[in-house]
Amino acid sequence: MKNTGVKIDINHLNESMLRFYYEMRGELMAIFSDSGALLLIVFATMIYSVIYSVAYGSEVVGDIPIAIVDEDNTPMSRSLVNGVDYGPDTRISYETESMSQAQELFYDGDVYGILYIPKGYERSIISGKQANVSLMIDGAHLLIYSHIMKQGVADIFTTGAKVEMARLIRNGVDASAIPSLIEPVRYDAQVLYNPSLGYGSFVMPSVLMVIIQQTMIIGVALVAVRRRQYRVVDAVDNPIITVLSKMVVYIMIYSFTLICILGVIWPIFDFPNAGNITDVALLLVTYLAAVASLSIALSHLFSHRESPLMLLLWSSVPVLLIAGVSYPYEAMPDWLYKIGRILPSSSGVSGFIEINSMGASLADVATEVNTLIVLAAIYLLFAIMCEYRYAKVKL
Amino acid sequence: MLILKSIYAVFKREVKCIITNRLYFTSLIVLPLVMITLFTLMFERGSIDELPIVVVDNDKSVTSRQLTSMIQDTRGVGDITECSSTIEANNIVRMGDARAMVVIPSDFERDIVSGKQSSASVLISGANLSTAGVLQRDIQQAVQSLSASVASGRMISMGYSQYQAISDILPINVDMHTISNPYMNYGYYLAPMFIFVGIVLFTMLTTIYAVGRELYYASAEEWLMTANNSLLIAMVGKLLPVAIVMMAIMGLAYFVLFVIMGMQLMCSHLMLLLISILLIAAYQSIAVAITAITANMRLALSLGGGYAVMAFTFSGVTFPVIAMYGVAQLFAKAFPLTYYNEIFINQALRGAGVEHSIEDFWALLIFIALGCVVWRRLGRVVRSEEYWRKD
Repeated sequence: MKNTGVKIDINHLNESMLRFYYEMRGELMAIFSDSGALLLIVFATMIYSVIYSVAYGSEVVGDIPIAIVDEDNTPMSRSLVNGVDYGPDTRISYETESMSQAQELFYDGDVYGILYIPKGYERSIISGKQANVSLMIDGAHLLIYSHIMKQGVADIFTTGAKVEMARLIRNGVDASAIPSLIEPVRYDAQVLYNPSLGYGSFVMPSVLMVIIQQTMIIGVALVAVRRRQYRVVDAVDNPIITVLSKMVVYIMIYSFTLICILGVIWPIFDFPNAGNITDVALLLVTYLAAVASLSIALSHLFSHRESPLMLLLWSSVPVLLIAGVSYPYEAMPDWLYKIGRILPSSSGVSGFIEINSMGASLADVATEVNTLIVLAAIYLLFAIMCEYRYAKVKL
Repeated sequence: MLILKSIYAVFKREVKCIITNRLYFTSLIVLPLVMITLFTLMFERGSIDELPIVVVDNDKSVTSRQLTSMIQDTRGVGDITECSSTIEANNIVRMGDARAMVVIPSDFERDIVSGKQSSASVLISGANLSTAGVLQRDIQQAVQSLSASVASGRMISMGYSQYQAISDILPINVDMHTISNPYMNYGYYLAPMFIFVGIVLFTMLTTIYAVGRELYYASAEEWLMTANNSLLIAMVGKLLPVAIVMMAIMGLAYFVLFVIMGMQLMCSHLMLLLISILLIAAYQSIAVAITAITANMRLALSLGGGYAVMAFTFSGVTFPVIAMYGVAQLFAKAFPLTYYNEIFINQALRGAGVEHSIEDFWALLIFIALGCVVWRRLGRVVRSEEYWRKD
């Protein structure tokens, strides 16, 4: 009696395992026999990663061309000009006679800023007065703006400090007292996590997470629509096995992709990898599980093969923004940011950045991980319900 | 007359399809509206301010509190959490609950009073470039203005006049002007391009769908019959409805940018109309070319969609083109949106003369001409059954 009982269980287990295996094989075959799905699920993430890396790989904005209008043309104005040319962020590419000529260059896109030194600059300085210069900066590109501003202001202040020092010495101030007069409170700034303020290091982690989610949602729907179209009635479908087997397939494929990207592409471009490898892996697997269950649940909404792409591709950019990284969440309405949390990408992006870029531990991102687990559970339930309904309708 | 009548017949056929086909209607009208609403909500505030930071005040003196309140008074800084240890502060920053930390040393006030040089350390999280930029600027300003006031106090006590002290502390005064986007509103410079990328994407997908559908569902013959068997009439009648809807969406986008968000329009409405027509036409032309070359609607949708979205990266809105590697700079030239972006900034935001954008206009025209290059291939694909029903 006992024996048969155990035997039945084993048979049952074997049968489930076997079905699981067949379901997985079916899904894999559906993916690999369809070039569109293959392109999206297997290659798109890698292709996009490479392209974005190439675009953002240079990381920093430097040597931005600016124009100089030096109406003073004295040794002192020249030394200011040299200072601005020497800095890493700006480079003087034109020197014009008049402001209007410089403006022409600006409108032609040849320069992004104009430094104007009016006549009488040196005279003011020598006579102990305050000299005025103007810096005009293009506000249409934020990164360019902030670099010119940072460099320009720093150069002008350095020159100013030299002038101040000379004046103080001339007035007989003791040399040792000078620093405490020029800069009584020193400003020591340090940038954490992304010291060079590289753009790629800043934006790539969030872009990667979003690409994973978007390609998986569209790809899974594509495969699901096709399988529904072609499948003959299969009476013994078990919704739970179907959903779980799909999840395993997609987690496997994307894990492989992620290993390639994080292991090969990112080191080439020197993108951040400050995280503990186990923590990174655990977070990513949780993320993939949440995204996969969302994808499977959503795939039931589509009935035509062209619909997923046409209806979902546009959302990539809003999804990236709503995660609150490339566009900081402080700048958008709070309720919008909170609604965004129903997407795995929102928690995935912040969790991944905290672990991988800032070196936090898994425990530090407990909120994100818990959110992902809850999302995975909810979407899994939805996916199973949809699959169950579909199986019933089909019968 | 007959030509106009045939164009109208095709036009009517397409409009009927837009109304009855749920997918077509949604991606041509509903989703672009949803997208614009979403971006409007997202960017309406636009500025990055009131960021949370942590302060570790080891001095707890009048002067250190003065510095803290000067930092708090800047636009970029919002809530300040006081922390007793650097380790705790570091954790808060790492958890993302604060964007920067300021550490004031214990002898801060004593050094200042005794005429020595003091310092404040600032650690800014570089994980987010935008917030880091704002905080760098604002905290530095606060520290420097405290420093300047201390310096002028010292100099006055040394017998300088106040005027002389100020001109010695700040011998060179910089007068800052920002050309275009004078308020440096973050939303102002992101919103237009995000919205345009979306519009361009929908133009691409719906145009591919409009043409590709006839192949995919093998209705090309009927379509041509409506057009009196003329490919030109068939294409004009088909592309017009999509173009008209997209122009209306463009109009709505401009309304959001220049009226609701209050950006300043520096060119004429006619110029806006012209550049919008060029942009939409360029993307429709590319969409037709991709459809003709692939003769496979789904593949065309994937390629066209990917291409349209990628323009976002390479048009230089987020990361300037001049800072990219040479290869990437070349790549950036392959997207009409890059040129449109240049024209839009130059004309609509800076108010430069048309003569400064001639090259960009030419580039857009070249993209529009692309559609004509594939004309023969398009005719073959539309007329022969072997290209239909491709999946």
